[in-house]
Amino acid sequence: MQKPTPKISENVWSYCYQCVAGPDLLRVDVKFGVPHQIAPNFDAADIHPAGGRVCVKAFGLIQKTHNPHRITTPMMRTNPKKGRREDPGFKPVSWDEALGAIAKKLNKARADGLKDESGFPRIAASFGGGGTPTAYMGTFPAFLAAWGPVDMSFGSGQGVKCYHSEHLYGELWHRAFTVSPDTPLAELIVSFGANVEASGGVCGVKRHADARARGIKRIQVEPHLSITGACSAEWVPIRPKTDSAFLFAMVHYLLHEADRGELDLPFLKEMTSSPYLIAPNGYYLRDPASDKPLIWDNKTNTALPYDTEGVDAALEGEFSVCGKEIGPDDQEWVHTEVSTTTAFSKLVAHIRFYTPEWAAEICDVPAKTIRSTARQFVDHAHVGETIEIEGHVLPFRPVAISLGKTVNNGWGGYECVWARTLMACLIGGLEVPGGTLGTTVRLNRPADNRWSSVTPGPDGFMDYPMNPTRKGEWHERSTTRHAHQTLVPLAANSPWSQALGPTHLAWMMQKEGFDHLPKPTAPDVWFVYRTNPAISFWDTDAVEDAMANFPFTVCFAYTMDETNHTADVLLPECTDLEGLQLIRIGGSKYVEQFWEYQGFALRDPASKPQGEARDFTWIATELARRTDLLESYNKAINKGAAGVRLFGEGFDFSLKEQEIHGVEEIWDTICKAASAELTGGQETQGLDYFREHGFRVKKFPKEQWYLYPALKKQGLRFEMPYQERLLRIGAQLKARLHEKGIRWWDRQLKEYEALPNWQNLQTLWETALEDAFKVSIGNYPFWLLTARSMQYSWGGNVGLQMIHEVAKNIAGHGGVVMNPAAAKALGLAEGDVIELASPNGGTTKGAVILRQGIRPDTLLTIGQFDHWKTPYAKDLKTPSMNALMPMLLDLTDSTGSGADLVKVSIRKIEGAS
Amino acid sequence: MTRYAIIADLNRCVGCQTCTSACKHANATAPNIQWRKVLDFEVGEFPDVTRAFLPVGCMHCDEPPCLDVCPSTATRKRDDGIVTIDYDICIGCAYCAIACPYQARFRVDKPAHAYSGKTMRHEALREDPNRIGVAQKCTFCVEQIDAGLAAGLVPGIDAEATPACVNSCIAGALHFGDIEDPDSNVSNLLRENRNFRMHEELGTGPGIYYLYEGDTGDNAAIEPAPMVPDPVGLAQVSPQLQTSWDWRAAGNFICGGTGTGLFVATILAGMMAPVFWPALFIALALVGTGLFCVWLEIGRPWRFLNVFRQPARSWMSREAIIALPFFALGGLAWLLHSPLLGILAALLALLFVYAQGRILRAAKGIPAWRQKEIVPVIIATGLTEGAGLFVVIAVLAGYSRLDLQLFGAALFVLVAARFVLWRQYRRALGAGGAPAATLSVLDRLNLGYSGASQTLLLALTLTSLVSPPLLIVAGLMAVATGWGFKFALVTKAAFNQGFSIERMPARGAGMSAPGIKPGWTAQ
Repeated sequence: MQKPTPKISENVWSYCYQCVAGPDLLRVDVKFGVPHQIAPNFDAADIHPAGGRVCVKAFGLIQKTHNPHRITTPMMRTNPKKGRREDPGFKPVSWDEALGAIAKKLNKARADGLKDESGFPRIAASFGGGGTPTAYMGTFPAFLAAWGPVDMSFGSGQGVKCYHSEHLYGELWHRAFTVSPDTPLAELIVSFGANVEASGGVCGVKRHADARARGIKRIQVEPHLSITGACSAEWVPIRPKTDSAFLFAMVHYLLHEADRGELDLPFLKEMTSSPYLIAPNGYYLRDPASDKPLIWDNKTNTALPYDTEGVDAALEGEFSVCGKEIGPDDQEWVHTEVSTTTAFSKLVAHIRFYTPEWAAEICDVPAKTIRSTARQFVDHAHVGETIEIEGHVLPFRPVAISLGKTVNNGWGGYECVWARTLMACLIGGLEVPGGTLGTTVRLNRPADNRWSSVTPGPDGFMDYPMNPTRKGEWHERSTTRHAHQTLVPLAANSPWSQALGPTHLAWMMQKEGFDHLPKPTAPDVWFVYRTNPAISFWDTDAVEDAMANFPFTVCFAYTMDETNHTADVLLPECTDLEGLQLIRIGGSKYVEQFWEYQGFALRDPASKPQGEARDFTWIATELARRTDLLESYNKAINKGAAGVRLFGEGFDFSLKEQEIHGVEEIWDTICKAASAELTGGQETQGLDYFREHGFRVKKFPKEQWYLYPALKKQGLRFEMPYQERLLRIGAQLKARLHEKGIRWWDRQLKEYEALPNWQNLQTLWETALEDAFKVSIGNYPFWLLTARSMQYSWGGNVGLQMIHEVAKNIAGHGGVVMNPAAAKALGLAEGDVIELASPNGGTTKGAVILRQGIRPDTLLTIGQFDHWKTPYAKDLKTPSMNALMPMLLDLTDSTGSGADLVKVSIRKIEGAS
Repeated sequence: MTRYAIIADLNRCVGCQTCTSACKHANATAPNIQWRKVLDFEVGEFPDVTRAFLPVGCMHCDEPPCLDVCPSTATRKRDDGIVTIDYDICIGCAYCAIACPYQARFRVDKPAHAYSGKTMRHEALREDPNRIGVAQKCTFCVEQIDAGLAAGLVPGIDAEATPACVNSCIAGALHFGDIEDPDSNVSNLLRENRNFRMHEELGTGPGIYYLYEGDTGDNAAIEPAPMVPDPVGLAQVSPQLQTSWDWRAAGNFICGGTGTGLFVATILAGMMAPVFWPALFIALALVGTGLFCVWLEIGRPWRFLNVFRQPARSWMSREAIIALPFFALGGLAWLLHSPLLGILAALLALLFVYAQGRILRAAKGIPAWRQKEIVPVIIATGLTEGAGLFVVIAVLAGYSRLDLQLFGAALFVLVAARFVLWRQYRRALGAGGAPAATLSVLDRLNLGYSGASQTLLLALTLTSLVSPPLLIVAGLMAVATGWGFKFALVTKAAFNQGFSIERMPARGAGMSAPGIKPGWTAQ
């Protein structure tokens, strides 16, 4: 076998991409070959949005490297029985033995056909952390690309712990996999549960701190006073999951209370579908000749196609017009002198009922607070003003709304994301300086630049790679176990789409199949890396049971944990500070990573691997070799599967496809290609250059932070406010599913509305829980929420003592946060140990932590714990909501997402402390 | 002159603990030892609640209480304001930890590891035996500053000359620099923002400034943060029972007070009756036992001679120094039965017990001790215990009835005086404000100084004038109540200062609001 270990240098450059808010750059100080200190990379101070700094999680990497609980040798299971109560009987084996066993399974799977009898890939893989594991898995993506179909549908948190509705609708409306205020320019941010100070990484924290220093106002609307609430000018303690009512009332204020002239009327007319005429069946009234949606031209008093030059589009009004209407499956209606209104008029009428007074009762927030928030939104909008960004004059709208988890996913996510995007449109603040921005794309392509993903689609909007629903085009059988192509058109068809499907359906189907879908099967081989779904998913007991039935599980394992307890093979890979890799940095990335540069950064090994740990690239190469996929694997690397295409204009560093290449050789080649890419082929420095400098960048045009110019250049509009396309797709999907006899998705189909109606989500939740578990919901009087923690989120670091030590300085960690009045009413005091129980029978225990900053009807458990196997973490006795969260279809929205919210009861555990 | 200081902008701080972690890396501190950390404060009642994060650590005070108490000269203050500890000199008495009102000093008595029993590679690499058993705290990363200065760099501007916590701060909340330079980064920040320092009223001149609001043009003084005796959820920032000094330290105050009191009582009694010379030996033995207890307490016992190095400032040094002639003269007086030497030694005994009072008084970190009334309390308590023990000995030694009546009368006066002083102390402590837990402990234990027990003691003492054998009971009771009081004072009621936030910061366009002094009350 090849030599696996890259050389070690002193004081090395590296990066931290443990969470989605990265990557950030760092320096590792090494002495006598031992990494002992993490420090900022101040060489990157001028190019990194946070000045070359890293957050607290990066400082855990030293302990992570040396943790005595690490698995440092490959291991194989000796007990064929799997389950929590079974001792796996792991025994150390050689790499040769471990890889040989995996290759044997893979080769058999390949021989049996890449897909099983249900049409599902025989190989499945689960990676955690919003895609960040790719920054640590070297060339493994090239191995997966060489392999062929891989099922990524077994979620480890995505769909239930992510910004799911925001991902899907955000990408549809403004290429916004995640959404961010343009914090450096914003004057006012209304934040509904977005916890950017805990989960926004160093860039988020820095940008918001800078904004506060110049006097930004942030109003934090959420049931508990989070870190972000603490850092806000105002806290509005809203009733859980009623944010959509607050947002609808804000829209109401803008449409029915503010002067029309305070809105950005030119933006609405020219950059949105507001003037499009709506025909009687709810679809656009179209020009019979071109099928283009019609608008009413005030100049000529006629209906004209939306893209006619020189029109003065009517924003509101009723018009008698002739035209064509196209419904689902190309159904057409021809209308003669039919009475129509504009989409905007429809919107105004739709929102009329949703007054601040109406919302006040629902949200338990005074109407004057809602009205004042909306008024401030208008006052800070600066409608009509412009700003110059690197020589380009753009609209300036320094107000934005941000949404947090549980607000922007699950039921209600559609309403909230729609209302947020609409609010931005009403004042012309979508994708302009100061306003509401997308950060990156994952469903649209290419993924490295939002501007490049702006391509013309139907009706003057951007294109979107929907999963088809038209008759004859619909994917009756999905290629994944969660059926994302079948059920969720918006999940799209990119390589990332599997992760954006209804991931809990994959787990649910392992327990009981769904009528008329292919028979659920377990994957022949399941790869797991940087995730622990037995803790991080919902209904963890069910997830455990499902994975215990998987025939062959391969975990790239750091320590023993609750998921790899069911593994067949454990492979110790080099961790963050031991592996070698080059990744892309810069441009605009998740959360608040807006760079003025783009390029590459190196993760140079700062330590020899502990024990027998091996570099991931070496493991991937070995797997490729042992499965006779070396040629395809090298070809995939050449095509860019490891992050950089190895050939381009003026350069070609392609690896020889038939040969085995060493770890350093591969990354040296990738570094050369990266240098060439950045310099147009002029410079080709390799690994040594990056070892010396740590990173290499070129300028990224700041104008490209904003999508508005890209749409403007192509004459495109934002697909707001009216969702004609979704209405049609929903009707088509309904027809397809019903044709197949599928009725269990009917509740979700109702969400395909052109203008979303408000739903009473508290009642929806309570009813779903009562129906599913035959309980009286009155016995579960509290809403249980969770919140992210800067110290833990995405870090996979619950086993690190230092992280636990410093996290304890922040209130709420390690227990159940509770309002003192609510506690007193139950006879509870600080430190009392209580058991929380949910209607699904799940329980968790923790000590009461009293804080005034939480509603009396709400409880909070920070992070995800309840570990029973992970060393150190299992002794922390920290509660977690995950076991209490049922996986229910009734609590799954049309995008396949659920929200972290459940009702619970409290029982004091006498005598415990 | 240069005065380095840290500016913490509370509008920016998010409590992420990156500085805490960076400090742990830079200084390789043991698990659960945090030279720098960020506290979490919450003020108000639902729904009107604000929350803020407060970075704390060694304040590198202008008038460091730790410096004043350090008996070994290990703690020093540089001309640039940085307070340092010489690990080679420190005896690990932890007096500085007691004296610091910012809970910024620590002592680790044995190598500690994150995962018990298993030493990780980086722990082994950076383990510093010199830091075991001695005081440790934030150094402002002084080595980095000095190396940076030597390289011509500017602390606070150049990262290579700036403390790790400041370098690491992801919110730009922490700043470092020279506040004596009017054009420095930190001077500008102080000019442009309203700010406070923690526990300003203690006169320590702390070197961490907290910015809480942009300059509003209103330079009105800040109202002291309201005391809240029983704040919800703020146990971590409320006063905690000090753990640096335990029964061994209490033993010194108990034995030292009783021993010196006995010595004085014996000599005074000898002026009107025959001297009972063995009592002097008992007195010396008691004082010696007390000092032995202290020796058991210190982290580096074989460096005990360093205790004599700081007579100019430290009452601990002075106590030790006074002990030398006291033992010499007292021992000779006992051996030679010399009244003159006895009187001289008795004067030293009074000085010794006075020094003990001043030791407590100088402990600025413990509100229950730093009261000026503590000095007469400690003296009176010691003398009363000594007198109590003396009358017991006198009865057993067969003094005459008249002598015993005289001694009883003296004990009566002392018990009464002690009671008055105790009450005055308690009133003064409550009037100025104190940790609610301290007052609660003192009132709950009510050991010696409750009206009932002292009335009983006084009645017993009076009765003993008629029936001198009762003096045994009265004497023992006087001793026991004194010991109980001091034991409680040192080990039960010695809650530290805790933390406070004078103002909750304005966040962005928001307004600042009154802060909180959690766990404090005035009563």
